[in-house]
Amino acid sequence: MILVATRSIRRQLVGWLSAGMLVAILVAAIATYLRAREEANDIFDYQLKQMSASLTGVPLAGAPPGSAPGAEALIVQVWDRSGVQVYLSQPQQPLPRDAEPGFNTVRSGTREWRVFSALAGDRIVQVAQPMSARRELAASMALRTIVPLLAVVPFLVLLVWFGIARGLSPLERVAVALGERSPGALRPLPEAGLPTEVAPLVHALNGLLERLGSALGAQRAFIADAAHELRTPLTAVHLQAQLAGRATTDADRAAALAELRAGLERATHVVDQLLTLAREEPGVSDRSFAPVDIAELVRHVLAEYAPIAAHHQVDLGMPGDGATAHDAVIDGDASGLRALVSNLVDNAIRHTPGGGRVDVTVQRESGDVVLAVRDSGPGIPASERERVFDRFYRIPGVRARGRPGTGLGLAIVKRVAQRHDATIALESGLSGPGAQGLGVTVRLPVRASAGTP
Amino acid sequence: MRLLLAEDDRMIGESLARGLKQDGFVVDWVQDGKAAERALAEKVHDLLVLDLGLPRTEGLDVLRGMRRRSDSRPVLIVTARDAVADRVAGLDAGADDYLVKPFELTELAARVRALLRRSAGRAEPVVAFGDIELYPVTREVRLSGEPVALSPREFALLEALLARPGALLSRAQLEEKLYGWNEEIDSNAVEVHIHALRRKLGTDAIRNVRGVGWMIAKPQAAA
Repeated sequence: MILVATRSIRRQLVGWLSAGMLVAILVAAIATYLRAREEANDIFDYQLKQMSASLTGVPLAGAPPGSAPGAEALIVQVWDRSGVQVYLSQPQQPLPRDAEPGFNTVRSGTREWRVFSALAGDRIVQVAQPMSARRELAASMALRTIVPLLAVVPFLVLLVWFGIARGLSPLERVAVALGERSPGALRPLPEAGLPTEVAPLVHALNGLLERLGSALGAQRAFIADAAHELRTPLTAVHLQAQLAGRATTDADRAAALAELRAGLERATHVVDQLLTLAREEPGVSDRSFAPVDIAELVRHVLAEYAPIAAHHQVDLGMPGDGATAHDAVIDGDASGLRALVSNLVDNAIRHTPGGGRVDVTVQRESGDVVLAVRDSGPGIPASERERVFDRFYRIPGVRARGRPGTGLGLAIVKRVAQRHDATIALESGLSGPGAQGLGVTVRLPVRASAGTP
Repeated sequence: MRLLLAEDDRMIGESLARGLKQDGFVVDWVQDGKAAERALAEKVHDLLVLDLGLPRTEGLDVLRGMRRRSDSRPVLIVTARDAVADRVAGLDAGADDYLVKPFELTELAARVRALLRRSAGRAEPVVAFGDIELYPVTREVRLSGEPVALSPREFALLEALLARPGALLSRAQLEEKLYGWNEEIDSNAVEVHIHALRRKLGTDAIRNVRGVGWMIAKPQAAA
């Protein structure tokens, strides 16, 4: 049994059905009783009238003739005009004298009587019968009607009990099918041949399974990509370590160890970038938004990258002596935004040849803070501008200076931008010698529509 | 032996080139598929070490192009793709061996030597001709069983000549075997090394056909 929990549909249904049947039987009993009593009234009234008619002119001695049902309980009284009782059939049951002709209901002692009085010559003949006789008859008729019905109730309950079990068996099959599944088995459940009550549930479940499947697929693809991308820097480290081990002179060893250190830095950077990207994954980040001064953030990032830019002879700075907007404060996640700015600046420096220039501007435009990073590097051809935001995508043939890129920078930028409802535009930057440059413009709304993507 | 290394990652490429050079190979390194195809067209390399994830032209396409042109030089794939399906695809596309990153430099060198040996039609790890025995693994040369000390260039020159005994190799062909792209070639380096080899192995070991080139041939006992 699948539904033995406290809130069992089956028990509830059986309970309600049983109660319903009992109420129906009760109503039937009352109706039968009322109707039977009405009919009994008619019959007995007729009988009283007949009796009274047959008594007129009969010598008043002994019991009256006739033996209709309940006749034993009949009382006959005869009075003369002067009000003297001439005859009483059952002396122990005196009835009040009632001169009103026709049917009357009178109370005598604890009993109710139905009395028929008729004027016959100079005498008044009264025939009376207790009302209880009629009620008993009606009750026995009602009882005879409901007893077979009551006898059927247990069978009906049993029938309903098993009928419901049968009706709910598709649910049980679904439960068994789901219970036997391995966590990774996300095939849809078969929807054919299900009752209309269960089909919506299974349909909804299948929808959930499908969404789970695509989310799981995306996760797997990410892990596979990440593992593959980690293998490259680790292979480099592995080879560099072997070369360091082979070195025979101190100079060789020092050079090999420097290479090894660079390889480790690169592997660490890939891991850092992967972690940053994972934190920006939709539905993962739970960092709440707080006011962030973008101009201030950019100044910090520029200070951090200044030595690297100088090392590569790249002129990095904010044009106009850093005269940025004073109200460049948005509601956002400071560490995510810092990753966004860092990645843009890092990319620009690494792709800009020596003697080139990287400009970062922050401006306030109506409801947005507009961050732009422009370089005098080779730029990105229009055909590649969509794909560069895909993780691990690198433009074929393009080589950055310094450590090789992780292919994650712009993917991180895109994720952070999405969380902040920001738009990113790629266009030409600062035209350098034989290069169109790259300009990345991020338009951050001052107040994102929600704290989560 | 001169190898072509096609590897897009700068750090891995540098390390591989350096390691293979330390193992006595002449190594030319290219970073994309197009450059690899141009280098292969020069026909100066004895073996291709190929990374599959090359920009511009995929490694497997470079390989298929080679085989389509009936270029039968050995190809050793080095890649991070370790799935069985990838290995099968690589070998079926015409690769001779498949090495998954990361790997040991010694294993790479050993596999390169094995491929070169097999492509020369030899099973034994020693190249022997007359009294001369050359051991590619230990980079040793013996003459009548006695070790002969050779410089790396002399060794490479002898190896090139021993690869095709009886065939004449021009100065240009020998220079190609000795020097990578970025190495400066002395104008009379080949003559200098031949001279040294003759001094160490016997004057008759290497013959010169004036104006054409050099070949290795059995010392003629009758002469």
